[in-house]
Amino acid sequence: MSMRRYSMAMRWLLAPFLFLILPAHAEPYLAVQTGFKCGQCHVNPTGGGERNTFGNVFAQTQLPARRIDTGSDVWTGDLTKFLSVGGDLRFDGSYSKVPQSPSVDQFQMEQTRIFVNASVIPQRLLVYVDEQVAPGGAVNEEAYGLYWSANHDWYVKAGQMYLPFGFRLQDQTAFVRQASGINMTTPDKGAEFGWERGAWDAQFTVSNGTAGGPVSNHGKQYGGQLIYVQSLWRLGLTSNYNDAAAAGGRGTYGAFAGLRTGPIAWLGEADYINDRSLGNGAVKRVATLAEANWRIAQGHNLKVTGEFLDPNRDIAHNGQTRWSLVYELTPIQFVQLRAGVRYSQGIAQAPAENARLFFVQLHGFF
Amino acid sequence: MSCVRFRTLIASVAAAAVAGCTAGSGAGLDQNGQPIGSTGGTPPLTADFISIQANVFTPVCTKCHTGAGAPLGLQLDAAHSSSLLVGVPSAEQPNLLLVKAGDPDNSYIIRKLEGDPGIGGVQMPADGPPYLPQATIDVIRSWITNGAMIAMAASVSPSSKLAQRFAVAATSPQSNSVVTRVRPAIVVAFNHEVDASLVGYTTVMLEKADATLSAEQIPISTALADGNPMVVVITPRVALAAGTYRVTLRGTGGGALADVNAQALGSDYSFTFVVDIAP
Repeated sequence: MSMRRYSMAMRWLLAPFLFLILPAHAEPYLAVQTGFKCGQCHVNPTGGGERNTFGNVFAQTQLPARRIDTGSDVWTGDLTKFLSVGGDLRFDGSYSKVPQSPSVDQFQMEQTRIFVNASVIPQRLLVYVDEQVAPGGAVNEEAYGLYWSANHDWYVKAGQMYLPFGFRLQDQTAFVRQASGINMTTPDKGAEFGWERGAWDAQFTVSNGTAGGPVSNHGKQYGGQLIYVQSLWRLGLTSNYNDAAAAGGRGTYGAFAGLRTGPIAWLGEADYINDRSLGNGAVKRVATLAEANWRIAQGHNLKVTGEFLDPNRDIAHNGQTRWSLVYELTPIQFVQLRAGVRYSQGIAQAPAENARLFFVQLHGFF
Repeated sequence: MSCVRFRTLIASVAAAAVAGCTAGSGAGLDQNGQPIGSTGGTPPLTADFISIQANVFTPVCTKCHTGAGAPLGLQLDAAHSSSLLVGVPSAEQPNLLLVKAGDPDNSYIIRKLEGDPGIGGVQMPADGPPYLPQATIDVIRSWITNGAMIAMAASVSPSSKLAQRFAVAATSPQSNSVVTRVRPAIVVAFNHEVDASLVGYTTVMLEKADATLSAEQIPISTALADGNPMVVVITPRVALAAGTYRVTLRGTGGGALADVNAQALGSDYSFTFVVDIAP
């Protein structure tokens, strides 16, 4: 089948679904808005990275405020029947102010990532690579092989991968992602077993626990996550225990939930961390996130996020908060413009905890 | 109550719960959020290691760079940072030292903090912007320009430090660890400054020590870390193939490894690690 005929066929196959669902994009709030699991639109069943054919066609036809008509030429990511690619670029302009320091304004390439997926046995066995190519030198984020069972109710993944823990937010600096230490900047080498049955999703992982660093023989990192997904809401429980440090283990436990009320998708996550890996006794932390995404119209989203971090439960008066207001406009397919303000507040003695950030971002994806 | 109203109520309550968590007043805390007096207080930022540790590495970098999960194994808490920074090759760009004493422009940490176009990965701190103010980076530059000296922790007086027996404080790779990526050098950190004249092939040995084979000596070059006389850097002259390796430091006999006060290790010290890199 030629590329053109294949694209046409995919378009016709997907068309009925596109009229039933809301726009999707690589953000968990979109999964909450649509009621889908992450793997509906992504190659990775736990989300993030390259979109599959469904996700690509979906993003072009439903996400933008205005779609530039390309006739029958619809990008699906498929170069051949067996090989597909994708990419993600984020370029920022920002103004930041930290008390007692001069303000800084700058342009910055936040990231350019290339995804390559070789489906060596279609629908069953794939080899996937996620490489950050800018800024700076290339950095491998993910590289794994994934085997699906015949009816796609379980899979096994092995290699370097992002570990499943809570919402896979785009903002890796969110308190829940930073305090948990499990985010897209700390992929680890290991194996993941996933189970998908109806509304249920579960993942179990074992990995080195060193975030790409030298391997320790002291122990490993173990994770487990269970999610129940309904069209209007979802609820997940997640845990992770890292025993790789000589000084002691680090337990991270979380609960997260999503809810759709009309045009607003709500996300909430609360994590508790008990860290004995630092060699100075246990440090207990709590991080929370609440986020509302208001889909004003197709292609327009307003995001309000409130976060809280208690960096040490045994010390009083040290809490930190962070509020973000971000407007996201997707004028045409493949292009998103974001503008936002972030207001952080912590103890006055630590100026960096009281930063103000204003930013605009060009986000390109395919 | 309709279903939509109920869901809105649930969501609003959850949002309010988070919103109700307010930032701390900071009463009774120092700059690092620790109770005043528990750590001796945070010194003002000056171009010395203790001050930079207290004002930059501890409050900013250890949000991520701590414990076993520290990115690329770079732990920047007070117990590890001096051993893993000064004179130690970068894991991202092994041709550059993380801190090259006297040469801030060629110190990889400066390039990472300033967002040099040639760095691997992202500018640090990873949660920026805001990044460190240039004035703060300039203080780190000054520390490096002045030789990147590692002062002793304020809580340890020079006399009590010298009273401790000369010993190995840390190694990288750690003992019994498995290395899965090419390491440019093996690092051994001591608790005292090392007598450089005693560091050589007679006191430092690297062997391939697979159980089924007789030990095979690996050619190495040894030196004190550039600007960090408490750290010995062992550089293999050949690429380390997969296998088990043993580092031995001779601490007894004539010319044994000793500190600058002629205090010898007292006994031989050895540790092993495994290289597990696909050919």
